Amino acid sequence: MADVPLFELRGISKEFPGVKALDDVSFEIRAGEVHMLVGENGAGKSTLMKILCGAYRADRGAFFSNGAPVTIHDASAARQFGIAVIFQDFTLVPYLDIAQNIFLGREFASRVPGFIDRRRIYAEAKRVLDGIGFHIDPREPVHGLGVAQQQMVEIAKALSQDARILVMDEPTAALSDRETELLFSMIARLKAKGVAIIYISHRLSEVFALGDRITVLRDGRKIADLLPKETTPDQLVTLMVGRPVDTTYTRPERPSPGEVALEVKNLSGPSGFSDVNLTVRAGEIVGLCGLVGSGRTEVARAIFGADRVTSGEIRLFGEPIAESIETATRRGMALIPENRKTQGLALARSVGDNIVLAGLRKMFPSGIFVPRRALKAAHAVIDKLRIATPTPRRPVGALSGGNQQKVVIGKWLNADAKFFIFDEPTRGIDVGAKSEIFRLLDGLVHNGAAVLMISSEQIEIVHICDRAYVMRSGRIAGELAHHELTEANIVRLGIHQ
Amino acid sequence: MSAPGLSLGSLPLSRVPGVAVVLVALCAIFGVLSPGFTTPANIANILSQSTILLLLALPMTIIIMTEGIDLSIGAVLTFSSIVLAVTVIATGSVTLAFFTALAVGLCFGLANGALVALLDIPPFITTLGTLGIAQGLSLLVTDGQSVVGIPPAIEHIYSGTVAGIPLPVIVAALAYFATHALLYHTRFGTYVFALGGNREALRVAGISVRGMLIRVYAFGGVMAGFAALLMTARLNSAHPTAGIGMEFDAIAAVAVGGTSFERGNGWLLGTLLGVIAVGVLRNGLNLLAVPSSTQVACIGAMVIFALFIDGLRSEQ
Repeated sequence: MADVPLFELRGISKEFPGVKALDDVSFEIRAGEVHMLVGENGAGKSTLMKILCGAYRADRGAFFSNGAPVTIHDASAARQFGIAVIFQDFTLVPYLDIAQNIFLGREFASRVPGFIDRRRIYAEAKRVLDGIGFHIDPREPVHGLGVAQQQMVEIAKALSQDARILVMDEPTAALSDRETELLFSMIARLKAKGVAIIYISHRLSEVFALGDRITVLRDGRKIADLLPKETTPDQLVTLMVGRPVDTTYTRPERPSPGEVALEVKNLSGPSGFSDVNLTVRAGEIVGLCGLVGSGRTEVARAIFGADRVTSGEIRLFGEPIAESIETATRRGMALIPENRKTQGLALARSVGDNIVLAGLRKMFPSGIFVPRRALKAAHAVIDKLRIATPTPRRPVGALSGGNQQKVVIGKWLNADAKFFIFDEPTRGIDVGAKSEIFRLLDGLVHNGAAVLMISSEQIEIVHICDRAYVMRSGRIAGELAHHELTEANIVRLGIHQ
Repeated sequence: MSAPGLSLGSLPLSRVPGVAVVLVALCAIFGVLSPGFTTPANIANILSQSTILLLLALPMTIIIMTEGIDLSIGAVLTFSSIVLAVTVIATGSVTLAFFTALAVGLCFGLANGALVALLDIPPFITTLGTLGIAQGLSLLVTDGQSVVGIPPAIEHIYSGTVAGIPLPVIVAALAYFATHALLYHTRFGTYVFALGGNREALRVAGISVRGMLIRVYAFGGVMAGFAALLMTARLNSAHPTAGIGMEFDAIAAVAVGGTSFERGNGWLLGTLLGVIAVGVLRNGLNLLAVPSSTQVACIGAMVIFALFIDGLRSEQ
């Protein structure tokens, strides 16, 4: 390895109409190193990686492979230098099996033209999978695999193409803690083999646990090149946002809780939870935590009426509701889903259209749509939540993640929702915008709403919630009052004994 | 499930019952209601009559797996059949006529593929347009009349037998196994799964999505041209309305067979069973002297019923 980097980008600049996405950025990749790339959304991380893998062309700048100048003008050129991207949305074909996916487009030909040498494909796939310690039958179809397993297949696919530089974009975003550990141990194994890894992450704990080096981007510029040992999380966050921001949002005083908004009694359902009891009062933010798979999301879906219930009772503001999204929303319940892009928003429609969507029945009881009234309502929500959009006519898809989240919340505010379920409200949202989401949650409860918040980020639960329920294997393992609410307690209740 | 052995095909076990239940139920019903149903002659008849539909339903399965559709397949079959009849009458050469029909089918298939792949016109619209064109050409060439006077050699293709097995059944069986090999054992087949399942994956792998789409629709056209031979032989003539509604039967057979219209989830054996189910239904209703308009309604009901059963199963 010596001092010559495996691959180097020097002085990369890239401009899009109206935006300077990258400005004179240099970046080195060394063999056997995990290089963390951090920065807020819009800092230029994705653009830089797209240039590296040949999806975009840089306006200016040079590439060096093992010290020798090279050019990358398309994806196949990048592949030649061993650069592979593990995409966030996978490039797998659901109804092909693992081996067919690994070798898609590179099938071994049999003697008959056009036909595939199946035996060789499965043998080679097995070899690659064993090489990364992923022991699975390569004949397994991909559509039955979990997210973590699909990710492993993606990694195997990249390695089978002799990748020496792997780009991972928020690889743990959809993984449980256990799956994350598996991924980390695989990364260690890849490092030992001399593979270089560029790792984009919003999670500071990962940055420090995994990184050998950290590059910070901000507004298209390289701000710092750091060693984790010599840096503190607070310093890193300051560099990322360019102004001091508490990683941990401090919440203002809350009014004392009011009437019971939601009461769940002995709720059991076929999706894998049983005997769940919980209450949420007006003016409270109550956390629902536990490992992925502990039943958190399932309980939330059942409360919202999206999933079936076998026994038990759900009361909203004293009135029983059962298994109907329609009655739940009419009585003022709102679910802000984890995946806002597919479940919460019509991305191609305007901000204004999205805001009025849930309140249409209330706003236009006659069924006739009055554009002027809709626009007025949209403006009111945009002002109230300070959604950064020049006009309500802008497509929601063009907004940042934090602002999209605000549109989802605004949609329900406009529908007069009084009880909110938030499923992972900060997923995929950058550090600066997180505080703003928390401020928004606080604003909701200050105005008398009740909030049930599901989050995998225990630190967020600790800082934002008044109380929390911890689930384990489909049951409530315990309730933590405010003075007991610590990360350690959540973990203690949440893990299997 | 993708990779099947050469054995059965593969695919979602949860799908098998829908089409199997339908097929068993139909046989039971018609077995009881009409005595002639279970005779060997009638069973051979059902199989023979199903062959043309199978030749259309096989490519239709592949097209639907790519999240496409080919509405023109019945009209292309008709026009190919007319061209075949006209050619054979004019030249006397069955071989030449057969290849001309294949060429006509291929041209329509290529046109469909090019419009879908190169101009990005949705498959539904594209093939609705070519349906109209092919249908119009059929009427134009024939002036609405049947084309008769075809040499008897062609008729033997449909009525002939080899070792007691009807020739069209042998042809259809060969077509089935060839399509099976194509779908499950070649690069082409692998990319068909990817076209419906994840086009981006195909693009990233450096495979031309457009080229693949053109080939998929061209396959449909060629198979329609091929089916024209059996159709002309069966009718011993060519008729400008003979293939009307065949696309409906083909799509119905594919749907009954459990191929999904999303995500590239297809099952070729299911299509074979679906074709037989449509054939059994039509044959049984014919024996009961049910008018053909009612038969179409029954096929529609059968599709819904089969998918309902599949839905019940996958819910559990």
